[in-house]
Amino acid sequence: MADTPGGAISLSFADLAIAAALIVVAAVISLLMRLRLERQLALATVRTVVQLLMVGYVLKWVFDIEHVLLVLGVAGLMIAAAGHAAVQRVTRTFPGVLWRAFATLAFSGLITTVTVTAAIINVEPWYKPQYLIPLLGMVLGNGLTGVSLALDTLLERLTERRDEIELHLSLGATRWEAARDALADAVRRGMIPIINTMMVVGIVSLPGMMTGQILEGADPADAVRYQIMVMFMITAGTSVGCILAVLLAYRRLFTKHHQLNAALIRRRAPQ
Amino acid sequence: MPDVLLSITGLAVAAGGVRLMERLNLEVSAGEMVALTGPSGCGKTSLLRAVAQLDDPAAGEVRFRGRLPHELGWPQFRRHVVFVHQRPVMLDATAGENLRHPLRHRAVQIPFPADHAAVLLRQVGLATDLLGQPARTLSIGQQQRVSLIRALLVDPEVMLLDEPSSALDDDSRQSVETLLRERCTHAGKAAVVVTHDRAQARRLCDRHVDLKPHLTAAGGGPRDG
Repeated sequence: MADTPGGAISLSFADLAIAAALIVVAAVISLLMRLRLERQLALATVRTVVQLLMVGYVLKWVFDIEHVLLVLGVAGLMIAAAGHAAVQRVTRTFPGVLWRAFATLAFSGLITTVTVTAAIINVEPWYKPQYLIPLLGMVLGNGLTGVSLALDTLLERLTERRDEIELHLSLGATRWEAARDALADAVRRGMIPIINTMMVVGIVSLPGMMTGQILEGADPADAVRYQIMVMFMITAGTSVGCILAVLLAYRRLFTKHHQLNAALIRRRAPQ
Repeated sequence: MPDVLLSITGLAVAAGGVRLMERLNLEVSAGEMVALTGPSGCGKTSLLRAVAQLDDPAAGEVRFRGRLPHELGWPQFRRHVVFVHQRPVMLDATAGENLRHPLRHRAVQIPFPADHAAVLLRQVGLATDLLGQPARTLSIGQQQRVSLIRALLVDPEVMLLDEPSSALDDDSRQSVETLLRERCTHAGKAAVVVTHDRAQARRLCDRHVDLKPHLTAAGGGPRDG
């Protein structure tokens, strides 16, 4: 344990080993209560250490080189992983859902993050990886939850309320009029987690980024301003993501003949 | 010269990749009611859905007053050629709201004709105080009649009726048949009625087309069923 120049206390591997003892407590509880979670806990602990150490080294390399193509490449990988995770979480699916999730998260993630780095923080250059990558990560992390919830809700509504939607269509509704309630429900459902988070932020929990900055020795007032900006950025990214995902799915599932192509929707095979 | 409202030419329908019916040709004129009968699974409902453009037909075309759906726009086409489901679909709202809702569609946009609705309800044996009740709490027979009135209020030129009296008792069936028959005869509207009841087909309709799976079905002469 040693002080860093910024005032934060640096952690050694020995410190992390002591922290790992906290996991041992959880493992002992699992053993005593016969929860059979010890193996999973051990695996999760190892994965956490390996994944974070690897990402630490990769980030250091990216930060040192600071080349636009490298930064965009890392961003692309993050978007691909987020898109894949978003699609894995939905109960139902349709052909082309994966690229739509990628496109949605790429657009919503990059547009909000670059707006923040280029127009609010005024970072030079706009792709400075120390800013762009962690901010994009926060937008994508929340965005993928919103997108998967929105898609899940939309596909559920279109399946379970197919008769109602076709009733509207058969009485002269446009596809938009017939789908509007399902689309609104889906966007609403996707937005609820981030709105709930905004409602209680600072009261129930201190966000990780703000906590990190304070631990780093930053002025709490500065950390709070950063956090407010981050919350707005995440909310904007999530809302753009939810709306875009739902609209792209709508365009795929309703034909230009104003029909619902429900046959495209199928249950995902259990993983 | 008959005023042809609906022209079906070479229509083939498929479900799940299987062709259910081949090359149906049928013309329906103003004032006319045509019955479609046939064994279960021969594709009667699929045919009505294809005519209503809820599903694309496997082949052939459907015209309303000589115009294809894309020339009119699909919502406009369906506003004139209305499909009424066999199993009544009620929105999660009062019966009154169920009647009002379709009238707000951009292709319809007509004010709710409360007096006309009350007359129609009475004609099919329903009391107007039923309008305040949640539609899904109504009996299936009441729902079927509300569903029919809802379609009638859109004032379509052609109605595609899938077993319109399947859930009705004799009195209600008779009143529904009378209403539909009068509407066609006196208001110059038309209807295509899918029914498994050949007696109803003969009683209600001017013509009768017996559909056979995988066979060419053609419009027959008056009451040829």
